[in-house]
Amino acid sequence: MFDFFVFCDIISTNVWFVVKKMDIIDKLKILADSAKYDASCSSSGSSRKNKNRGIGNGNVSGICHSWSNDGRCISLLKILFSNCCIYDCKYCINRCTNTVRRATFTPREVADLTINFYKRNYIEGLFLSSAVIKSPNYTMELLIRTISILRNEYHFNGYIHCKTIPGCSKELIDPLGKLVDRMSVNIELPSHNSLKLLAPQKEKDGILTPMTYISNGIKQNKLDKSKFKIDFVPAGQTTQLIIGATPESDLKILKLSEGLYQKLNLKRVYYSAYISINNDKNLPTLKSPPLLRENRLYQADWLLRFYGFKADELLDDSHPNFNNILDPKCDWALRHIEQFPIEINTADYLTLLRIPGIGVISAKKIIRARRSFYLDFDSLKKLGVVLKRAKYFITCKGKYFDKICKFNESFIETNLIYQERNNLKQPQFEQLSIFDSLQPTKEDKIKCLTGSL
Amino acid sequence: MSNWKLINKTYLYDGSFYGFLTIVFDSYLTKTLPQKICKKNTYLSNFLDTTIEIETNLEKAQRILNGIEKNIGSDTLYNTYYAFLSNEKNKEFNILKYLCNGFIVGPKINHNLTTSYVFKVVSMRKKTLSECHKLKGLLRFQELSNNLSYASIHPDNNILEPLGHHFIKRFASMNFVICDKNRDICFVYNTKEYKIIHSQNICIPNISEDEKKYQELWKLFFKTIFISERNNPRCQMQFMPKKYWQDLIEKP
Repeated sequence: MFDFFVFCDIISTNVWFVVKKMDIIDKLKILADSAKYDASCSSSGSSRKNKNRGIGNGNVSGICHSWSNDGRCISLLKILFSNCCIYDCKYCINRCTNTVRRATFTPREVADLTINFYKRNYIEGLFLSSAVIKSPNYTMELLIRTISILRNEYHFNGYIHCKTIPGCSKELIDPLGKLVDRMSVNIELPSHNSLKLLAPQKEKDGILTPMTYISNGIKQNKLDKSKFKIDFVPAGQTTQLIIGATPESDLKILKLSEGLYQKLNLKRVYYSAYISINNDKNLPTLKSPPLLRENRLYQADWLLRFYGFKADELLDDSHPNFNNILDPKCDWALRHIEQFPIEINTADYLTLLRIPGIGVISAKKIIRARRSFYLDFDSLKKLGVVLKRAKYFITCKGKYFDKICKFNESFIETNLIYQERNNLKQPQFEQLSIFDSLQPTKEDKIKCLTGSL
Repeated sequence: MSNWKLINKTYLYDGSFYGFLTIVFDSYLTKTLPQKICKKNTYLSNFLDTTIEIETNLEKAQRILNGIEKNIGSDTLYNTYYAFLSNEKNKEFNILKYLCNGFIVGPKINHNLTTSYVFKVVSMRKKTLSECHKLKGLLRFQELSNNLSYASIHPDNNILEPLGHHFIKRFASMNFVICDKNRDICFVYNTKEYKIIHSQNICIPNISEDEKKYQELWKLFFKTIFISERNNPRCQMQFMPKKYWQDLIEKP
C-alpha cells in the first residue's frame, strides 16, 4: 500500500524525505494548479452505460460543467496524481529543479474526490495525469491502482481520461486501456531537435512507441466481434503540442498533426500556447501567450478533420505561417480564387464545405433544403446560413449578391479585411506632421466663425 | 392546406401536451384553424375573442401521437415535443400548422425549412435542446441531511422532464429532486419511479455536513484551474450566461 506521506524534494538534490501529513485542500490546490496547463478537457466519445446500478454514465457528445475565467471549459476533474518529478523539462512548471511545493495524492483520495464531485454534478469524470515519480512504470502502477478503485470498487461508469507516462512498458498499457475511456501521450515539442533541447530526458521513441501500441490496440479491439469483449480506450487517444516555445513553423506543426491523424488515428491533437513560467536560456520570453496562433492552428485542425483539406493545401513553403487577419479557409480561398464562385444549388457536399463561412451544419442544411426547391440568398438567410463571408464566394441561381461589383479578388479581399478590422488591435501611435504646431486652436475656430480672423 | 378554413375563435386548453394534441385532432378533423391558442390559466379575456374551451381527451391525443409516428415519422414527433416545451409565444399555433401540413405532405415536411412555421418549430426545438444540454452541465446537486440530492434551476424553457431523464440514467441508485423555480414544479425520483409535482408539496431539509466541505473544495478547484495569462471573461460569459449563475456553487 502506498503510504499517506507527502514527499518534498530539496532543491536540485534529489533527496526525498517526509515532511508532514498534508490535508486534502492543500493537495488539491497544488496538484490542480500543476495540471491546468494541459489543454485537453473534452468528455466526448464514450457511451459507457450505467451498469449494476453503479454511479454515472458516459455521454457521447460530452458535457461541459463550468467555464473558468479564462473561458476554457471545465468538464473533468483535471489533476495530477503527483508533481514530484524526476525529469527536468525546461518548459514545465514541475521540473525537478524548480522550487515549487510538492504533493502526492493517495489512490483513495483521488477516487473519493472524484465520486463526491461527480455525485454533485460538478464534473463529467476524471482527467488524471502525473509527474514521473521514481520511474515511469512505478507511476503507471499508481495510476492504474487509482482507476481500478474507481471502476471496480465504486462502480463508477463516468468518463476517465488518463495520461500515459512516456517511457513506460507495454504491459502496463493494456490493463489501463481496459479501465479508461481515453488515453493520451503528450508529444509537447513538435520536433526531435526541440525535444533534445528542452526535454533532454525524454526520448522520441519513448513517446511514439506507446502511441503506436495504443492505436494498434484500439484497431484490434474494434475488429473483435465477441459479445463479452472489454472495450479498449473507446474514446480514442489524443496528444498535445506546445506552440511558440520552439521555432517550428505552422506548416511543420500542421504536417505533424496530419500524420498523427492519418497514421495513428488520433481523435484530437491539442495545441497549447506557450506560457513563460520558467527562465532558461533555451526558452523564449514571451509577454503574452501566442493565443491567435493557437486559434489559427485549431481552425486549420478542424479543416483537416471535418472539411477534407490537406496540410499542403493550406500552407506551403512560400507561406509557412497563417495569416494574422484572415482565417485559414478565407486565406486559402483567396489564393485559389479560380475555383470560385460556387453555385449553391448544384455544388456537392465537399465543394460546399470549401466555401469560407459555410460549415458542416450549414452544408448539410443546404443539401437537405435544395431537394425541395431552388435556393436564393433570402432562403439561405432563412435557413440560418451566415452569409457574412460566404456571400462573396457563391452564386444562387447563377446570380452574385452584389449587382454592381463583379466577382473579383481585390474586391473580396478588401471587404473581408474591412469586416475583420474590429478584431484587429489598432496600434496606438499617430502620424507625425510638421504642421502639428500650426493646428488651429479652439479660439482660432471661433474667430473663423465670427469672421474676425 | 390552402382549402382549410380560418375561424375567428380562440381555443383554450389546460397547457398539457395531451391537451394540445387534442386541439390538433379537432382541427384536423374539421379542417379549420383557430385564430389563437392560449393556456386556460394565463388567458386574459378580451371582448373581441370568442373562446372555446377544449377538454383534454387522452384517446384523441393518443391517436394523434400514433398518427404522427406512423405517417410523418418519429423525427417530427421529436420536433413537436421539444418545440412544445419551449417558452416561445405563439408556439402552439406554429406547431399546429406544422403538424397539419405534415399530415398532408408526410416526412418531407422537415425539408421545407424555408416555410416560416417549419423553420420556427425546428429552431424552437433547437433552442430547447441546447438549453437542456447546457443545464445537464450547469445543474448542481446539494446533498441534504436525509441523504437526498437537491438541485434548483431557473431555465427559460420547460426542460424539467428531459433533464430529469438524463439524471435517472446517470444516477439510477440515487434519490434526487430537481426544482424548476421559474415554474414551481419539481422532478422527484426515488430510485424506482419519478413524478413531476408542484413545489408547494415539498419541504427541503438542511444540507449535510460533508456538503460544506466538498463545496469549498470545488470552489478551490474552480479558482485554481484558471490561467491568469489567458484571462477572457467575455468568452466565459458567452458559454455560461449570467442568468444561470444564481444556481452555481462557484460564482465566477
